[in-house]
Parts: sequence; C-alpha cells; structure tokens
Amino acid sequence: MAPPSRSSRAAVLASSVQRSKPTPYPSKARSALIRRTIVVLLVLVALTLITISFRSPTAGALHDVQGAGSTALRPFQIAATRVAQPFRDAYDYVHSLANAKAENKRLKKQNQALRDSVFVAMSKLSNYPDLVKLLHLEQLSTFPKDFRAVNAEVITTPGSAFAHTVTIAAGSSSGVRINAPVVSGGGLVGHVSNVFPDEAIVTLLSDTDSFVAARDLSTGVRGGVRTGTGGTLILDQVPKQDVVRSGDAIVTDGTRNARYPDIYPYGIPIGRVSSFGVTDTAAFLQVQVQPFANLGSLEAVGVLIPTKHRR
Amino acid sequence: MTLGDGVKAAVLLFAAAIAQGSIFSEIHVFGAVPDFLLVTLVALALLRGSVAGAVGGFCAGLVVDTASLGTLGLTSLVLTLAGYWIGRYGETTGRDRAHAPFLSVAVVTVLYELGLLVVHFVLGESAPAGAVVRSLVPAILLNLILTAPVYALTRRLLRPAGREGLTAEVQLLG
Repeated sequence: MAPPSRSSRAAVLASSVQRSKPTPYPSKARSALIRRTIVVLLVLVALTLITISFRSPTAGALHDVQGAGSTALRPFQIAATRVAQPFRDAYDYVHSLANAKAENKRLKKQNQALRDSVFVAMSKLSNYPDLVKLLHLEQLSTFPKDFRAVNAEVITTPGSAFAHTVTIAAGSSSGVRINAPVVSGGGLVGHVSNVFPDEAIVTLLSDTDSFVAARDLSTGVRGGVRTGTGGTLILDQVPKQDVVRSGDAIVTDGTRNARYPDIYPYGIPIGRVSSFGVTDTAAFLQVQVQPFANLGSLEAVGVLIPTKHRR
Repeated sequence: MTLGDGVKAAVLLFAAAIAQGSIFSEIHVFGAVPDFLLVTLVALALLRGSVAGAVGGFCAGLVVDTASLGTLGLTSLVLTLAGYWIGRYGETTGRDRAHAPFLSVAVVTVLYELGLLVVHFVLGESAPAGAVVRSLVPAILLNLILTAPVYALTRRLLRPAGREGLTAEVQLLG
C-alpha cells in the first residue's frame, strides 16, 4: 500500500480554483422572509395596540384616535343598517311568526286548562250556597226538632235517566239508618234505601216508588208528593175543592197518625207549586211541584238522624 | 397583487367589517353569530395569499375594533393570524381545490373563536368558554352557508392570481 502523497494533496488545496460568486438570496426564500417579517410586524403592532389600549382604556392618544375613527365609521354603519333594515324586518317577521305559532299553541293549551279549572270552580261556586246551608242546616228554622244531621259527600250521581239513586260517603258507622230522610241545602232530597258501613244509597224524590206526605204551607192543603208522568213532581191526592196557588211552598207533613209514624218529620221544604189545573175526568187537582233541591247535581247532602229513639 | 386588486380587496374587507358590525352581529342562531368578515377574509387569503390575508386581517380587525370601541388590536391580532394561516394553506395545497374554502372556513371558525377566547382570557376579560364551545357547531354551519356566495363574489372581484406568472412554454434542457 503506497503512502499518501502529502505534496499532491497540498497542491490540490493550494490550487487557485475559481469559486462562483455567492448566489443572491433565492426569490422563494426571500419572499418567505418578507412574508414572515410582515406577519411578525403586524402581530407586534397588534400586541402593542392591545397593550396600550388595555393599559389606558379611557384616556390617551390612542383612545382619542379610536373615538375619532368610530365617529368616522358611524355613517357607514348607519348606511349598512338602513340597507339591511328591510331584510331584518323580514327576518323578524318570520322569526316572530314562528314564535307566535309555538306561543299560540302553548297559550291555547294553557287557556284550555284555565277554562277547565274555571268550569270546575264555577260549578263548585254554584253549589256554595247549598253547601253553606248544609253546614248550617241545624240552625235553620225549618230543621226538624229531635234530629241531627250527618253531612256526607255524594260520591256517585244517577248514571242514567232510569236511575234515581245516589251513593253517599256515610254509612252505618256514621249513624246512618235505613229510611232516614235526606236533605240538601235547598230541601228534601229523598230517603236512605240501603246502608253499608261507610256508604249508603239514597233514593231520590224523583224515583217512581217515592211518596212523601206533604202539605201546602200557605193553605194547609194536604197531599202526597210523587213523580208524575214525564218525571215531574206532583202533589197528588189533593181534592178538587181545595185551594192551591202557584208559588206556594210545599213541605213534609210529618206523622199524621201516631200509630203509623212517617219517616219524614214535619216541615222539611220540598218545593214550590209551579202550576196547577183541574180536569172534569180527574178525581184530584193536578198540582205540579218544582223541587227546591237540585236533584240532578247533588254534591253533598245531610242525613237526618233522630236523636231520640223512635218506635 | 396589483394596486387595483389591493383597492378592491380593501373595499371588500371594509364593507365586510361594517356589515359584520352593523348587520350580522345582530343575527343570533342557537347562540351563534355568522361571521361574514371571517368568511370574506378566508376567501381573500385563499385567492391572494398569506401576506394579503395577514394585512387584510389586520386592517379589517382594526376597523372592527374601532367601530365597536373594543380593545384596539384584539381582533386584528386574531384575524392577522387567521388570514396568514389560510393564505399559506392556499399557497401550498389549498388553491384550486373545490373544498378548500369550506374546509378553511370550518377550521378557521373554530381557531378564531378559540383564539378570541384565549386572548380575552389572557387579558382577564369575560371568557365564557362553555357558551363559546356550545355555539361552535352552529357558528361553523352558519359560516359554511355564507362560504359559497362570499367566495364566488370575492373570486369574481379578484381574479385568481398566478396565471400570468406561469411559464407559457416548455423549455427543453440538456
């Protein structure tokens, strides 16, 4: 292996090779530099502006310049707003229309709920006087002596035109007995026809089997209240020669014969004579009675319980 | 970029900034506001490059901050970076791609909102991160709706550059 020739190597190094001139900055690299410089400068300016603006937000030259700039830009903003106003109005219209539909739906639902509650409240309110009377039944002058009242809620009303009974939420455990008279705030309702421990069935005056000995409070004419043809109450068995006037109050007659005590004590209001008539063929007066109690919509009733033992 | 292009771009961005502050800032859809200015800047940056994007973003931001009497330079800072970044994307890979404007708008919307959030947070101002994050998707959708017409308008005003710079004929080497 030949030793390396130092002289030849030195000769090569020493040779005067013509070097090319350093190439100018490539255009691509230069443009990148310019680009980056611009961005950095802009970022620095922005940061400076932020710093100045943040440090003195209410005073200083920059604040004044910004205020002047804002004033100068204001007309452009107003112009843009005016140009956009019709479109904004259209948008608002559509938006409010969409909202109005949803709002309308919600309000309709709310209105229905309120209407229902008003109906319920009104129906309760219409019964309010009767309920008050019922609560103070024993204080009324017409309340029979030797009786106490057991107030009870009506839990089922007549389900059809053929049913003339209601169920009340009081039974034998409350002292309710069979055949006990039942009244509402207005007047006589009927009598207890069946008793359970906590419930009782009340047969109404409108039942065809119901018969109540009654009298005209004004004239003293006696008769019996029962259901006539067409479901109306009539005061039956009134002789033709007796006098009855429209508007006369009809009350229970009570016991006429001590041997046969009546289930209804004397003086319970039944109704008022609405009309009367006489025919040649009929044996008695035709006296129609409008009941005081609203038998079709009873909410609560009072069962009259004798305080003394009756035979 | 010629002087004429510069004037057109300036007028376009100025109008966009005014419209953003006066019209679009009042449109709220699911907590988001369409950013007409940002979409216009993206279109400009894609068509005219990073320098135009950065300068345009800076100037438009100044107009917005001046008109709204906000912290001067705040919007400029974020828009400068957004314009530069989109411009670079356009110069390198995005130009002449049909999806470039939409992709750029979607991405830059997120970056812009988060950038503003960060700057506000750093300055100790109100930075409701939850609200910003919740409004991101609607904001992207709104901006994407604006993208097609705004990009078409900007492209019509500023013809795509570079044709005159391309070599007209092939030079055989060797």
